[in-house]
Amino acid sequence: MATSDRLTTALGQNKAWAAKIAKEHPDLFPKLATRQQPEILWIGCSDSRCPETTLLGLKPGDVFVHRNIANVLHPADLSSSAVIEYSVRHLGVKHVVVCGHTKCGGVAAAMGNKQLGILDPWLLPLRQLREDNLEALQSLPADKAATRLTELNVIAGVKTLKQQSVVLEAMQKGLKVHGLVYDVGSGVLQELDTSESDEVVKKRFASFKTVA
Amino acid sequence: MPDNADTQAVVRYLEQSHEKIFESNRAWVAAKKGQDPEFFTKLSAGQSPDYLYIGCSDSRVPANEIMGLDAGEVFVHRNIANVVPTIDLSAMSVINYAVRHLKVKHIVVCGHYNCGGVKAALTPTDLGILNPWLRNIRDVYRLHEKELDAIKDGEERFNRLVELNVVESCRSVIKTAVVQQSYQENHYPIVHGWVFNLKDGLLRDLKIDFEGMLADIQKIYNLTSTE
Repeated sequence: MATSDRLTTALGQNKAWAAKIAKEHPDLFPKLATRQQPEILWIGCSDSRCPETTLLGLKPGDVFVHRNIANVLHPADLSSSAVIEYSVRHLGVKHVVVCGHTKCGGVAAAMGNKQLGILDPWLLPLRQLREDNLEALQSLPADKAATRLTELNVIAGVKTLKQQSVVLEAMQKGLKVHGLVYDVGSGVLQELDTSESDEVVKKRFASFKTVA
Repeated sequence: MPDNADTQAVVRYLEQSHEKIFESNRAWVAAKKGQDPEFFTKLSAGQSPDYLYIGCSDSRVPANEIMGLDAGEVFVHRNIANVVPTIDLSAMSVINYAVRHLKVKHIVVCGHYNCGGVKAALTPTDLGILNPWLRNIRDVYRLHEKELDAIKDGEERFNRLVELNVVESCRSVIKTAVVQQSYQENHYPIVHGWVFNLKDGLLRDLKIDFEGMLADIQKIYNLTSTE
């Protein structure tokens, strides 16, 4: 088996990468060694085709990252909650991005009806969105329906984010929350319209904002 | 960055930096297409990464970049301090999908020195919702208490805890049914523990004994029999 060679290759490529960064940005590693000050929290999919720092054209130190299956935000998921708490409260990021993508395997799984073991509970929110929008999704060709479910999932993720008091608190001080879709077929990012009426915002603050 | 005294200035700044992101995304797309006009068309057909990378959310450790890998080459899960808790559905779903459906050949758990999560677990501070998450790291300390307590230098002890946290996350990955079953059947994935050094950008392979660790946990955690 040649798999260990592949791993040696990755470790070798790391040396080349480190040398390149050190040459292009000689101050970067010494600066990063002491602290991080990212402006962006990226909540995206684990999919290998969506490498956030690379596709944003950014450098180490720029983006705090959480990636899971299908960028799903479960309200009681401790992993994403810990990431949001740490980056919003302790690091003070200025933007939170929830990014879905076309051709997502998790979305495709939720559009199908195959039993997938431990993945099934994880994908429940996607199935909920499928149910809520069943007729509209059924009226679309399969690939368009999947992309639509991706969009709905991003919008739902943005909503779940804004139900966390730490996010609402930071939004009052200027934090922006964005919903994006990445098209793996073209590499292009697109922002979704997640704007809300004043009334919706007011209701949310009244219901979800808590104080110490 | 202006202080929050001037709200309008903050808003303007945010709008500008946000626009910059879309600009640099477009520049990246153009550069990629310049190198290979079919780059995105190929990616659009599907992913078949060799690696699953489980690492820290820390902005200074961009997974595929530090491995010198491009879009499509590494499946990524990043959380606070690269912990793999037994009952974390998020991490377990990622491992399951990567092994069963993508058939990755390697799983890398990558920690990094000067990790904020590990550091926080070494302090007596109440951090609210972060407490249960960071308790996993305190448990790593308890498992290796003798070794860690014997290290007199505080920074050295911190570094060693970073390494041991990686080792325990590897052990947790190996305990999953999907990894045990796939390895028995296919001789992959192989689990590796790495540490990234922020000071020079270099990765270090902790060279964990995957076979030995697997044999060791299977006395109690063997889940290879399917009925």
